[in-house]
Amino acid sequence: MSTKVNMTRFSLMAAGLAVALAQPVSAHHSFAAEFDANKTVTLTGTVTKLEWMNPHIWVYLDVKDDKGNVQPWQCEGGPPNTLTRNGWSQNSLKVGEQVTIDGALAKDGSKTCNARVVKLPDGRSVFAGSAGGDYPPTPPKK
Amino acid sequence: MKTHFAATLLAIAVMCPALAEGQQAFQPPTGPTPRLPSGKVDFSGVWQKPYVPDMTKDGKEQKGLAELPFTPWGEAEWKKYDAAEGDYTGACLPFGMSRSVNTPEPMQLMQSDKYFTFLFEQNSWFVVVPIDGRPHRQGIATWFGDSVGHWDGDTLVIDTVNFNGKTRLDTIGHPHSDQLHLVQRFTRPDLGHITWEVTVEDPKTFTKPWKNARTFTLRPDWEMMEYSCEENNKSLWEGRIKVPKR
Repeated sequence: MSTKVNMTRFSLMAAGLAVALAQPVSAHHSFAAEFDANKTVTLTGTVTKLEWMNPHIWVYLDVKDDKGNVQPWQCEGGPPNTLTRNGWSQNSLKVGEQVTIDGALAKDGSKTCNARVVKLPDGRSVFAGSAGGDYPPTPPKK
Repeated sequence: MKTHFAATLLAIAVMCPALAEGQQAFQPPTGPTPRLPSGKVDFSGVWQKPYVPDMTKDGKEQKGLAELPFTPWGEAEWKKYDAAEGDYTGACLPFGMSRSVNTPEPMQLMQSDKYFTFLFEQNSWFVVVPIDGRPHRQGIATWFGDSVGHWDGDTLVIDTVNFNGKTRLDTIGHPHSDQLHLVQRFTRPDLGHITWEVTVEDPKTFTKPWKNARTFTLRPDWEMMEYSCEENNKSLWEGRIKVPKR
């Protein structure tokens, strides 16, 4: 199965800890302005484009849905400045590579996600902890 | 059990390069407090700041205030705020002083006897603060407000008023009004650190002043980088982020 939407936290303990401990990477805008933390997604597909630009990088990938049809997705990562300081570059992810992205879905229902972790087939994780805004969000106490 | 723990740590190190490369364990240079030829404390340098998306929370190098003393107006503003209905920062509008200091991106401070300058990496904004004793300028209210500075011993006090009221204090959206008055106190106990405190005063929004306290760390290994917020702000162009109507 290539696309899996779930309502639970990461099952991988290490991944969860890595995200929790990663450097905060963005305050461009509020996470809640665009994404829904309660709608997590795991996408596996082929990278078609990487935009290494401010205010956030964007990873584009083709993902096969449950019927085998290829669907284009786009996922937001952190700002390139912070990712650069964390050791990543625009060459860290290449067009044609197979990746798995754990993230949160956009509120508007489009095939858009906020990437928390981008995993390569060999197990390495690039752009770990990438996120926009105040992720992981804590619901405001009102 | 120990094997599992070690394996988990190894996995974390592999998956989180910041940890693997020792960034979390960065140690700034040591030495005495630097001073200008005039004898004033020199705050110049590139500084790592804690990311503070919510000023009511404590965090690494950050002490917040859990319960903000809202006035009825402030409480109503906070309760009705929904970032999904408009977050001005998503449109790359100026963050304002408080939210700029709260960003995770570094800031460079530059200083002479006459001026103190914030160079925020976030969106490449800057704020120039006269520190030669002149009073606040009289003029139109602005996103960052009008700042002047004075010395209290070895502490530099930056006083900011005349805000336009269109910004938020932090990413999560705590409100303020155009009556906001920020007082930032900078001290540099040694070469590698700044001790920073802000007092937030806004009689329309809060019944009394309140504070946050933080530590900034000198990063001589970092250089400031360009941050063009408008370059690829596709979340706005594609309609997933709204511009607030105010």
